Amino acid sequence: MATRGTPITADLVKSALEGKRFNIADSLLAGALLISLFSSLFVLITLLADTLRTALPVFAERGMDFVTSSLSADPSKAGVVQGVLGSLALTGFVVAVGFPLGVSAAIYLEEYAEDNWFTRLITANVRNLAGVPSVVYGILGLALFVNLLGGLTNGRTVVSGGLTLTVVVLPIMIITTSEALRAVPETVREASYGVGATKWETIRHHVLPIALPTILTGTVLTVARAFGESAPLLLAGALVTNFFQPSADASVVQLITDERYTALPLVVFNWARQPQQEFVQLTAAAVVVLLVLLLSVNATTILLRDRFETKSQR
Amino acid sequence: MRRNRNDEIANDEIAHNEIATDELATMTSRMSAHGLSDSMDPQPAGLVDPATGILVAEDLTVHYGSFPAVRDVSMAIQPNQITALIGPSGCGKSTMLRCFNRMNDLIGTATVTGRLTYHGVDLYSPEVDPVQVRRHIGMVFQKPNPFPKSIYANIAFGARIAGIKQGLDELVEESLTKAALWEEVKDKLHESANALSGGQQQRLCIARAIATSPDVVLMDEPASALDPIATLRIEELMTELKKEYTIIVVTHNMQQAARVSDRTAFFNVAISDDGHRTGRLVEFDDTTTIFTNPREKSTEDYITGRFG
Amino acid sequence: MNDFRLSFHEHLDGMVDEVVSMGMYARDMVQRAGRALVSRDGLAAQQVINDDDPLDLRYLKLEEAWLQTMALQTPVAGDLRLMSAVLHSGHSVERIGDQAVSTAGAVRATIGMPSQPQVLATVAEIVDLVCPMVDTALYSLERRDLDLAMSVPIMGGPVERLERSMYGLVGKCREDEDQLEWAVRMTVVARNLGRVGARAVDIAEQVAFLLSGVFREFTSEDWDTGPT
Repeated sequence: MATRGTPITADLVKSALEGKRFNIADSLLAGALLISLFSSLFVLITLLADTLRTALPVFAERGMDFVTSSLSADPSKAGVVQGVLGSLALTGFVVAVGFPLGVSAAIYLEEYAEDNWFTRLITANVRNLAGVPSVVYGILGLALFVNLLGGLTNGRTVVSGGLTLTVVVLPIMIITTSEALRAVPETVREASYGVGATKWETIRHHVLPIALPTILTGTVLTVARAFGESAPLLLAGALVTNFFQPSADASVVQLITDERYTALPLVVFNWARQPQQEFVQLTAAAVVVLLVLLLSVNATTILLRDRFETKSQR
Repeated sequence: MRRNRNDEIANDEIAHNEIATDELATMTSRMSAHGLSDSMDPQPAGLVDPATGILVAEDLTVHYGSFPAVRDVSMAIQPNQITALIGPSGCGKSTMLRCFNRMNDLIGTATVTGRLTYHGVDLYSPEVDPVQVRRHIGMVFQKPNPFPKSIYANIAFGARIAGIKQGLDELVEESLTKAALWEEVKDKLHESANALSGGQQQRLCIARAIATSPDVVLMDEPASALDPIATLRIEELMTELKKEYTIIVVTHNMQQAARVSDRTAFFNVAISDDGHRTGRLVEFDDTTTIFTNPREKSTEDYITGRFG
Repeated sequence: MNDFRLSFHEHLDGMVDEVVSMGMYARDMVQRAGRALVSRDGLAAQQVINDDDPLDLRYLKLEEAWLQTMALQTPVAGDLRLMSAVLHSGHSVERIGDQAVSTAGAVRATIGMPSQPQVLATVAEIVDLVCPMVDTALYSLERRDLDLAMSVPIMGGPVERLERSMYGLVGKCREDEDQLEWAVRMTVVARNLGRVGARAVDIAEQVAFLLSGVFREFTSEDWDTGPT
């Protein structure tokens, strides 16, 4: 600041410290970031607003009837009930099968497996699998669950579809759970071992409770993804049609294990292709239902996560 | 003046032996209550031989992979005393400490050779379950690491997994009292342990360690993350606890070792030609001797600050 | 005198150097006091008395630095024993200075009194014996030399014998009252000079403690045969 020998005075210090230096680069960058944020939000909001506007007449006219009606070639009667039920069933399947499998696999990889070349190979491949286009899993689902294991799954049922979707999301579940487990500080494990706990006791009472909120956040994202998948379902045998009537007196179990099915994204896909003008509005309405369902499923998972977060305190 | 001190020490040792016999009987019954494997039964005569000790290492060496971290350590820890392990960084004192409760098992590449006995039982024999070892030889870590649970749950955890279902409330109160923390937390037992100050958290960790009724407590630089007042309280606590437990403490604070310990072991590090650091036990003696007239020059150089 | 703002171990060495320097100064005072007594030089004696104040001042400053070091550095082991040796030796040196002053004081007190040659010779001999004792003790401290330290008590043997011989010599002066008074005062001087030798042995004891870690008093047996 001052050259050697110059006495340091208050004035000198003042002039060195004061005076806002205007940094052009900083301000420009901040401005650019803000603009990109607003433009992405703007696009999103515009899309949503447009969809809502298009869908509004359908709900104004038919209300909840739209949600409870079956598919039909007649636009005035067509509803999304099979799509809703199908999507919910598939998502439920993914959570019921994918969640335990993914978490268990991650626990094994992180806590039990030795750090050798084999483990590292598996971990690397899980990451690769997460990046595979989901349509490939559709082909896998068709070959494995529909054809090869057709005896068990009864072919093109929700079971096959659910298993296919599970395989799609399993790599992400494993990865996010692994990250969550890795984020648990080693000091917690040390403390647990220090008082004479076994590895499983340590995982069950300390590691998992701490990692659970993060795991559940990962689950939210996974579930959202599964909800919106269409390509693998297409290949695995979900229906894309207007003519779909499940047997009138089938029980719930039979519906799942014996009958054909569809999902909301596929309904949207189908209606978007219909030539009739009315189907434009119906498509928008279906999209709205899809979004509402998605938000509800997410909200439920987030609520669960928050409940576990406070529970782990005790 | 010096002669009187030696008489005091001799009388204390006799008293300690009597206490040791009683404690061994208590410990044996505790051990059977916890359902230990047979190999952990101590010598039936029940006397801890003062010439050897409660924990005896013979030519103990720890390798990480192919390189020795600490080698050829032979030492005997006496019951109801505080033994301090001091030395420059890399000298293997923490590694040595972790041998006593088999925490080195958690490091995949660590191998232990030589012999380490606890009440005469070889701690590293294949029949010995490390989980059981850690219930008898507890540990307190450098940075306080309470579980992110309530204060109550922190202390009850060790007992619960040991199969104790009854009397947990009393156990929690007893442990917190012994750790000089009860008065401060008795009204907030079900609040999170993370809300406590650093010094309180460390006392909680001490309470947690003694809740499993160990007879040895290992402390790895227990006060190094704490402010001076909290440090002093931990030291006071240690001197109080040694009446009931045997304490081995690793510390890089020599004044602390001088203040608090009965015996001090000085470890030093040797660097091999290819740059690997191996620790060795240089001198192990009464703390007074180490700090007024140590035998080895390297001990003298270290404690007077000429290196390290 | 040095500024004590040095690194710790240099600082310790500095304190030892100061004690040795003070010791040499005090020894010089003793030698000059003895010569003044023998040559009955009042001016020289007064000089010795004046020279004591600076010595006392140096001791005070040393004590201050000592306290500071103990508080701030908490020395242990060899450093702690060195601190102990420095403090004890500094005190012994101060006492040596005081003995030199009382010896010089005897010059003034005996102005005009007749002397006796054998008594004077004995006193001079005692001075010539105790001064090297002080030197040797100080060297042993400076060089941390145990053998040198152990040799100091042996040098004290002859001093004790000379002191005892003074009593017999006093008898030779009983003819003249003034000479008798002079002779009695000289015995006191001889005893004071003997104490200088004892202080030198104290310093040597401290050096032995410093180097061996064990404190052992050098007893009168050691004066004849040397300590084991």
